[in-house]
Amino acid sequence: MTGALIDLSFAAFSLVAIVAGVRVFRTDSMVRAAFYLLASFAATGGIMVLLGAEFLGMVLILMMAGEMLVMAIVMVMYMMNPAGLNPMVMVHQPRTAVVAGVIAFLAIAGVGLSGEVPSRPAPDPAAATAELGRELLGNSMLVFQTAGVTLLATMVGAIAIAAPRGRHGDAAEGSEEPGLQPDEEASA
Amino acid sequence: MTTEAVLVVGAALFGIGVFGALSQQSFVMLMMGIELMINGSLLVLVAMWARAAGGSPDGQMLAIVFMTVMAVEMSLGFALITGVYRVRRADITEKLRKLKG
Amino acid sequence: MSPLLEVIAAAAAVAGLLAVGALALAIGDGVAGAVVAGRPIRVLPLLTAPVARAMLAARTGSTTTERPDGAGRAVAPALLAGLAALAMVLLPLGPGVALADPDTGFVVYSAAVAFVMIAVFLHGWSPNSTLPLHGAYRFGAVALSFQIPFLLAMLATALPAQSLSIVRIVEAQAGLWNVVREPLGLPIYLVVGLAVGFWGPLNLPDGDDLAGGTSAEDAGWARWLWQVARLSMLVAVAALGAAAFLGGYFGPILPGPLWVALKTGLLLAVMAGAQHLLARVRIERFVGVAWVLLVPLALLNVFVSGAFLL
Repeated sequence: MTGALIDLSFAAFSLVAIVAGVRVFRTDSMVRAAFYLLASFAATGGIMVLLGAEFLGMVLILMMAGEMLVMAIVMVMYMMNPAGLNPMVMVHQPRTAVVAGVIAFLAIAGVGLSGEVPSRPAPDPAAATAELGRELLGNSMLVFQTAGVTLLATMVGAIAIAAPRGRHGDAAEGSEEPGLQPDEEASA
Repeated sequence: MTTEAVLVVGAALFGIGVFGALSQQSFVMLMMGIELMINGSLLVLVAMWARAAGGSPDGQMLAIVFMTVMAVEMSLGFALITGVYRVRRADITEKLRKLKG
Repeated sequence: MSPLLEVIAAAAAVAGLLAVGALALAIGDGVAGAVVAGRPIRVLPLLTAPVARAMLAARTGSTTTERPDGAGRAVAPALLAGLAALAMVLLPLGPGVALADPDTGFVVYSAAVAFVMIAVFLHGWSPNSTLPLHGAYRFGAVALSFQIPFLLAMLATALPAQSLSIVRIVEAQAGLWNVVREPLGLPIYLVVGLAVGFWGPLNLPDGDDLAGGTSAEDAGWARWLWQVARLSMLVAVAALGAAAFLGGYFGPILPGPLWVALKTGLLLAVMAGAQHLLARVRIERFVGVAWVLLVPLALLNVFVSGAFLL
């Protein structure tokens, strides 16, 4: 691809990533929020592909498709508004949050812009995927295996926490409607 | 596409994530904020790998570790949502005022 | 040729391939239905049935629902058709001949298949209506279950090629097709393919038991577009399956592209037959089979494929 085309694609992807990212928290439906999050992630994956990390970008997009659907299913299971087409506002401390977000952005962007970024571009982005494969099963095999074992431990732990029968009793205990009063337990 | 521009985009994603994670009541929305924060850092990492680290394969390896963290965060988060719902029937943060089960 | 013209030519080629494939599948489905039901095969009505359906769709008015997500309803069929086109772009038609051959073709195709669940979920969620939403959630359960068997079955084909590029995966089958090398791969892929195109026994999201499921609220051209997009997705799945397991363009005498078409047609015929010979599977049974049976079998398939390489 030529330089101008890359710049144009980068501008488009960045715009989608940021606008969709903001829309995640400014929309009135959780399912829409999940779709916006997916759009933001897909655009970020696109930027990664532009940067030469083809495999990482595509895997990010692949991973997020599944994750968005899991979010949708969790919403059906637990949230009070499963289909998510009815508007709702569920926000607390919005001003503090905005200030914190802006400060985080300014601080990180400031560090990024004020620091001296060394210019050592990747020699051959086309070989990145093959290099990653050799690295995974070569020098970094221990790291890779550790990541695998971590994921296995996570699976075991997640199932232990979420299993229907366990130290928190039967699943049926929680299968009733949530109380309408937020402070039901406090008064009980 | 300068390196600085990518860093600013990554910082913006991180900032949006901070805003979301602090302002949302629903557990799932809160996790979306955390996801955006990890996503922003991942983007910055990949930009540094491509532009400032000479494309060394370790950088991609670190990105894979980031993605592992993302997956761990999601699966444990959803498991905790399930567990909390079972015990407290809570789906928003305001319902969890005390840690005692 | 200027780059813009090249892009337009490639898009036209993909659209043409998908249209021919979808039409062939629609006609073949009608023929299979007639054969299975023992009806006499009358050539002209079977050939014109898809055209008649399209004309009927054009004459039927569209419907709307209360407070739908308009953008979602418009985007969903386009997204599904676009994913089919994305998969077709990767299809090798001859030695080294494909519209695009990224190093990560395998991952691109997997992402396209993963996004089918987004398209179907969007299609079922956006009308803001009960039955479509049921269909969407059904497909959520189905799609999350078939992801891992699909990835593992496809991964085994990347082992002999030592590459994630689809062109290289086909090239590695010059001596021995993957269907022989790893006999479990193609059956698993076909089961997943039926689920990806929600077709026949795995037509759970759009099933008749939900009065059309995710397309229950669609009428006229919107319904027709969704059906065409679904058929295109099936064609793309069959074409990529033929490339990954049946040796793509390899074959005696006939030219390569013809072999691709023949093998794709064979897989489509199997799918069309499944539509009429197999009953619809209950959703919990499919989810159970996918996790308990297909995942271990697909893993075994990867091991067998690896053992061949030692």
